[in-house]
Amino acid sequence: MHPLRHPRNAIFVGLVFVIVGAIYFGVQAAAGWTVDYAGVTLLILLGVAIAIMSYVLIAGSPND
Amino acid sequence: MTTDEHALATTEHSPIAGLSHDSTGGISNVVLGMLLFLTSEVMFFAGLFAAYFSVRAHAPQWPPINPETAEAFHVEILPLVGPATVLLILSSFTCQFAVWGIRRGDRVAFVRNIAVTFAIGITFLLFQAIDYAALGSEGLTIASGPYGTTYFTLTGFHGAHVFGGVVMLGVVLYRGMAGQFSARHHDAVEAASLYWHFVDVVWILLFSLLYLLPGKPPTG
Repeated sequence: MHPLRHPRNAIFVGLVFVIVGAIYFGVQAAAGWTVDYAGVTLLILLGVAIAIMSYVLIAGSPND
Repeated sequence: MTTDEHALATTEHSPIAGLSHDSTGGISNVVLGMLLFLTSEVMFFAGLFAAYFSVRAHAPQWPPINPETAEAFHVEILPLVGPATVLLILSSFTCQFAVWGIRRGDRVAFVRNIAVTFAIGITFLLFQAIDYAALGSEGLTIASGPYGTTYFTLTGFHGAHVFGGVVMLGVVLYRGMAGQFSARHHDAVEAASLYWHFVDVVWILLFSLLYLLPGKPPTG
């Protein structure tokens, strides 16, 4: 059995990138720097893409 | 165990119950290909969204001043954008009803719902074309600086994806009417529905971004 146990749990892999994006935004905003919105957007949506990819990798594997 | 019984058992024990899969429990090639394609599409739109946010963040005010009228571009929800949004969301439901229909072998419900989804897709494109014409008459075009460029690039590429989805649904509808799908063989239907749901989600994000997100007041 895969460590994630169920393909739908692949969302947690993507969530890691979403959290990194949120931290990236939070640090810049808190420090009063110019916020890199492009970087934040790409990190968050990369999380979505990674979640789908993880789903494919886990669910696409045969059961045996 | 007969082939039918084996297929049923595989369905019941599949880790991806609801999505098409092969006899060993993996995802079918068609659905796998669509999921990989959608992954790349997520990053495609990520680039567009990132460009929009970057341009918006660096503009002194948003929407910016229209040089021709010396006033800020007007961004109220266009008359047909609201209905188009409601229709597109509705089409995700009809598309899913079609998938559920063919999964239980109900071809009539499947064809009916795919036909409705197809019609809604075409209606959405017509509404978008009318909105573009209205914006053009008000002086907002793709050449209207960063605002016009980002607006028409984002909505235009989404419209192109809707057109692709309509073509996909048309093929599925044609094949469905020809009786080429059954409860056991309908991978193309599953793949087309995944794509259509993706297009719908992107539009909800776009709509929120372009019409609901508050503008940015002038700095200084």
